[in-house]
Amino acid sequence: MIRIKFLISSLLLAFTGIFLFSCTKNNSDSSTIVFTFSHTVDGQPVQFDTIKYINAAGNQYSVSNIQYFVSDFKFWKHDGTQLNYTNPQDIHYVDTDIPGTFTWNFSNNIIPGDYDSITFNFGIDTLKNKPGLFSTTPEMDMSWPMMMGGGYHYMKLNGKWIPAGGTEALPFGVHLGIGQVYNADSTINHYVQNYFVVKLDKSFTILNGQTKTFNINMNIEKWFKYPYVYNFDVYGGSIMGNQEAQNIFKKNGKFVFSESISSR
Amino acid sequence: MKGLLRLATNPKSVSIRMIRFICVLSVLLIGGCKKEKESSYTPTPYVIQIPKFFPSNLNIPSDNPMTVEGIALGRYLFYDGRLSGRTSPDSLMSCCTCHIQEYSFTCGINNPSFPGGMPHGLTGIPTPHAMMPMINLAWNNNGYLWNGMIRTDNPDSHRRNIEDLVWMGITAPHEMHGDTNRTVALIQSIPGYPELFKKAFGSDKVTMKNIGKAIAQFIRTLISSNSRFDKYLRGETQLSEQELSGFEIFTTENGGDCFHCHGESGNPLFTTNLFYNNGKDTVFTDTRDRYSVTRKTVNIGAYKAPTLRNVEVRGPYMHDGRYKTLDEVIDFYSEKVVWSPYIDPLMHHVATGGVRLTSKQKSDLKAFIHTLRDDEFLTNPDFAKPATFPDGSK
Repeated sequence: MIRIKFLISSLLLAFTGIFLFSCTKNNSDSSTIVFTFSHTVDGQPVQFDTIKYINAAGNQYSVSNIQYFVSDFKFWKHDGTQLNYTNPQDIHYVDTDIPGTFTWNFSNNIIPGDYDSITFNFGIDTLKNKPGLFSTTPEMDMSWPMMMGGGYHYMKLNGKWIPAGGTEALPFGVHLGIGQVYNADSTINHYVQNYFVVKLDKSFTILNGQTKTFNINMNIEKWFKYPYVYNFDVYGGSIMGNQEAQNIFKKNGKFVFSESISSR
Repeated sequence: MKGLLRLATNPKSVSIRMIRFICVLSVLLIGGCKKEKESSYTPTPYVIQIPKFFPSNLNIPSDNPMTVEGIALGRYLFYDGRLSGRTSPDSLMSCCTCHIQEYSFTCGINNPSFPGGMPHGLTGIPTPHAMMPMINLAWNNNGYLWNGMIRTDNPDSHRRNIEDLVWMGITAPHEMHGDTNRTVALIQSIPGYPELFKKAFGSDKVTMKNIGKAIAQFIRTLISSNSRFDKYLRGETQLSEQELSGFEIFTTENGGDCFHCHGESGNPLFTTNLFYNNGKDTVFTDTRDRYSVTRKTVNIGAYKAPTLRNVEVRGPYMHDGRYKTLDEVIDFYSEKVVWSPYIDPLMHHVATGGVRLTSKQKSDLKAFIHTLRDDEFLTNPDFAKPATFPDGSK
């Protein structure tokens, strides 16, 4: 009789244990990082396909869509050590036509602690930016032609601008990627890597078990503003083969992003 | 009552019954998890082999997994004129009436039945648009038809994928102008078909849903991945100097600037499957453009960029078939692009009327486009009409 009672008790305990175990979140010493992405012009959420903006050069312009890659995220501690996320699977694609790309569940295994800043690459570094890096669309549609250096566009920022003295809005495509330096006979002398590091210089603390959300905002007007003023009337609307124009965006791009942090 | 009392008061009895209860419950639970075995329904799974350099994300609905039996049935139906629900020899129509393999599954510009390559339905009603090729449709994740109205996120569950296009093909006035009940009844009555439905879907009852599924499965096998350009990418052949020059023109902004919409080696589908107003017109009256789907004014006059694979065999070109030859198309993009408020931002050269290619550049570009011809696709016997139909007829 006692053995039977014991057997029943054991069975019930085992069932209860399995049930509770399966329903309880594993509470390890790690925290979760989520990145979200937003896009503004002059401090307001971008309104697409409307000629309502004026850049630093005085060009009236609109934004149609933006696609870009961010990669190589690093979390910097005060002593100079860092958590590195530099594998190909740590590259994220953002597409303003695909809202699902605005949220990136980055990692649920971040070591809690105090951090000074975050850095990331805008675009993809030399080692990884090779044909075949991606095996799905729409990322594959970002490919950068082999004859122009290969790999992938870092960014396509598409829109329209009204030329000085004109009335018709003309297309532009700020397409960043590997640049080319040409010889006098128009053959390519060498290629230039135009990806760049962005630093989000804001300290933060991640507590054990906490979910930290970092919103990375692209201040679109800054692509055309500082330290170099970009004038569509000078450089035109297509820049893939124009390293001088590419370099302007490479330099300006460091100042394009801002962040805000929230916790739960 | 006595029994209940005994149950409530005899601890040993309670224990034994509880153990029995747990055992029975366990057996029921485990048994309930097993799918009922259907002895006669064992279709053979068919897995699309992703060609080298192709995207891996396919558009295959979860409720229509591909099987060898489903594809075989779909091929019969694709080619069987009785799909129209009619038996009179002059009233037969199937998918293949207009979707002809040697023309990349369009009707072909020199087809005497369809002058100018513009098809019409069984009752003579013209189709609203020129035909799109049936190539690599399993990779299309951005909507089917020129305006993308058939899309997986469509709130209308009958307008989501190729399966639904089959239904539309049978009923649309400008296609078979048929009645699905009549089609289902006729196919059901043809010896051999019920058995094939049984093998493919587990029931010999013919349904419109399963007709759509079978044909869609077959269409998803229509894969082109062996053009000369594919072989070049795989290192199996070399392109000529002229073809390589054309490839460079194809992929440079200050050349032909074709690749942003039509892909390149990084996406050898040779289409993004997206929608663009490419600067053909200044006035827009077509009620079936992309705008008709999205209701966004930026999509006025926009249409899907079709794949350029086998483009040389499938004229006429553009959504309305306005250009008969590749030369006309190249001339358009070179010198005849016109501005409108809706022109796509990727049409960078509209201010100069186009990309302004020289005669040599045009020839080189055309030579490259010819490398996208895939004769293996155009002659693949697996895509062709079966020698006989299930009832032995031809």
